Amino acid sequence: MARLTLSALRKSYGAHAVVHGVDLDVADREFIVLVGPSGCGKSTILRMIAGLEEITSGTIAIDGRVVNEVDPKDRDIAMVFQDYALYPHMTVEQNMAFSLRYRGFAKAEIKRRVGEAARMLDIEALIERMPRQLSGGQRQRVAMGRAIVRDPKVFLFDEPLSNLDAKLRVAMRTEIKALRQRVPVTTVYVTHDQVEAMTLADRIVVLDKGSVQQIGTPEEVYETPASTFVAAFMGAPPMNLVAASLVGERELELPGGARLPLPARLWARLDGARASDIWFGVRPEHLVPARDAGKAEIMAKAGVVEPLGSDTMVQFDLGGATLIARMPPKSVRAPGDPLALTIDAHDVHLFDRASGKRI
Amino acid sequence: MSLETRNPVGSAKRVGAVAAPASAPGWYQRRRTREAMLIACFLLPSLAIFLLYRILPLAWNAVLSFEFWSPLKAARFAGLDNYAEMFFEDDVFWQALTNTLIFIMASPVAILLALAVALAVNSDLKGAAIYRTIIFLSYPLMSVAVGIVWRWLYDERGGFINFVLRGTGLITDPIPFLQSFGWALPSVILADIWQVIGFYMIILLTGLQSIPQHLYEAARIDGAPASARFLRITLPMLRPSLFLCAVIGILNSFTAFDLVYVMTGGGPAHATELLVTHIYNMGFGETRFDYAAALTVVQFALLVILTFLANRAVGGNAGSVESA
Repeated sequence: MARLTLSALRKSYGAHAVVHGVDLDVADREFIVLVGPSGCGKSTILRMIAGLEEITSGTIAIDGRVVNEVDPKDRDIAMVFQDYALYPHMTVEQNMAFSLRYRGFAKAEIKRRVGEAARMLDIEALIERMPRQLSGGQRQRVAMGRAIVRDPKVFLFDEPLSNLDAKLRVAMRTEIKALRQRVPVTTVYVTHDQVEAMTLADRIVVLDKGSVQQIGTPEEVYETPASTFVAAFMGAPPMNLVAASLVGERELELPGGARLPLPARLWARLDGARASDIWFGVRPEHLVPARDAGKAEIMAKAGVVEPLGSDTMVQFDLGGATLIARMPPKSVRAPGDPLALTIDAHDVHLFDRASGKRI
Repeated sequence: MSLETRNPVGSAKRVGAVAAPASAPGWYQRRRTREAMLIACFLLPSLAIFLLYRILPLAWNAVLSFEFWSPLKAARFAGLDNYAEMFFEDDVFWQALTNTLIFIMASPVAILLALAVALAVNSDLKGAAIYRTIIFLSYPLMSVAVGIVWRWLYDERGGFINFVLRGTGLITDPIPFLQSFGWALPSVILADIWQVIGFYMIILLTGLQSIPQHLYEAARIDGAPASARFLRITLPMLRPSLFLCAVIGILNSFTAFDLVYVMTGGGPAHATELLVTHIYNMGFGETRFDYAAALTVVQFALLVILTFLANRAVGGNAGSVESA
């Protein structure tokens, strides 16, 4: 049982603040993914949890015990590094047994634990090999094995898949997911890849410039992004965001003059003062071909057409703004094809233009 | 990384080397020949210089060691006479050999000192870059200059070291550092260590800085104490650098001619005689080039054996740098 709590966690290098008061409560056995662009402070937070970076202010507690001043080895955590951090002069077995040797485990117990982890990760045949004799994926498994044998309270993953090629990354992602089901330990996983975040997390913490933008389940973060940053960061391709203004009776005017009626729930949240200060957002998959072209909200001509097999991504111009629609395969074949698109009002996202916050 | 790859049906093939087709056509053979000639053209200038200035003198030296040879007489075959004289009649040879081996054995001391300095200047020590530069400055100095400076430092009457030792009351009579049989060799070795330690430090510092920091971080999380991190990570990862220092130490011991020549000239009573100074004295002092050649062959053989042993001591593949 391990609960991890970060309270008002801050980190500064001199006058330069990189983490601005992060609060996070990770439940026992929960898989939390910290996601954000490079330099958002996610790895710094992870390293502070590990004890590899000093905390400027705030507290980190594991199971209620504040560990700010506790040495990394005494925090009962295990970490998987971005570039594996395998000891190059030791065999796979020695790498996996390294931490156990310094924790007073008997030889038989070390052998049992290493054997068990190797079986679980399907690296039994590699146990005598040196790290240089392994592929990237195998090294990553050994790195995970080294963490598993410890049976720690908290697992920390620092962008563990970023050094792998795209195909292997997908395979390893699935393996981590499967492993998580077999070894349900409290985990904090750092990545800049929103697909990894969506597929692995119980809850996602979206970070930008050292501040938490949103904490929620993958569905919450995707379906109700708290800000334009989250809306644009989560999802590939990202959410379409265009400047819009309120006109007439519960209608939204988009660039190019297209008008969209707003549902009552959204209308209720708007007030006159912000009527012309709105970002309109819609996911590419929510721009759907209209059955009746006469009832389409958006009429445009296809720009760049990218057939993906399962879908076709279509870029088009709307009053000077470029939008992307995820269309059914073969529904649009060439640039210049006419588009008649409709939007379900429930799929509309509105954000305040000044603050970027969700309305 | 393995050179072996497998194709989808499981047969192994070697990548990196182009396998000739089963029935290589003429154009293919001609192309291979042209490539080989081009490679030879690029290599020939270096090979020619290496042959002219290294291999030929070495071979000529080996031949000379089995002859009686002097500039004024025709050479006569001497068999093993020069070697027999060396091993059974020449006491100075044994003294020089012993001194050379003592010189070599001082290398680990120098390397350990350099490692300590490298670790210190690699830490968060304030002004580490300045210390690093100061310590390295001893290396580019000419050995002759170093010899002269240290001769003055060691001087019995006006030397700085005796001045300090007497001034602090540690001794009453000056120590004849370079004039006493017991003190001379350690004194010369100390000067040699002083000169070379900066170079060792730079080699080891480069090695230290190439060790990925995340290995230490992983070890900290794994619970390895500082001593274990040094013994289990730093030292194994420094293996190539340590080997390089060891080889340089061996070479330096065999070629420390100028320092010894300036400081003591091999004396007193051959107390600081090295193989290389003995070779010089035999060849250019007594014009016995044949005997000097035999001494050179023994020195060369010793050098090869010691380098081989040093390589074995660090695991047999000292040149390779481990990387995960």
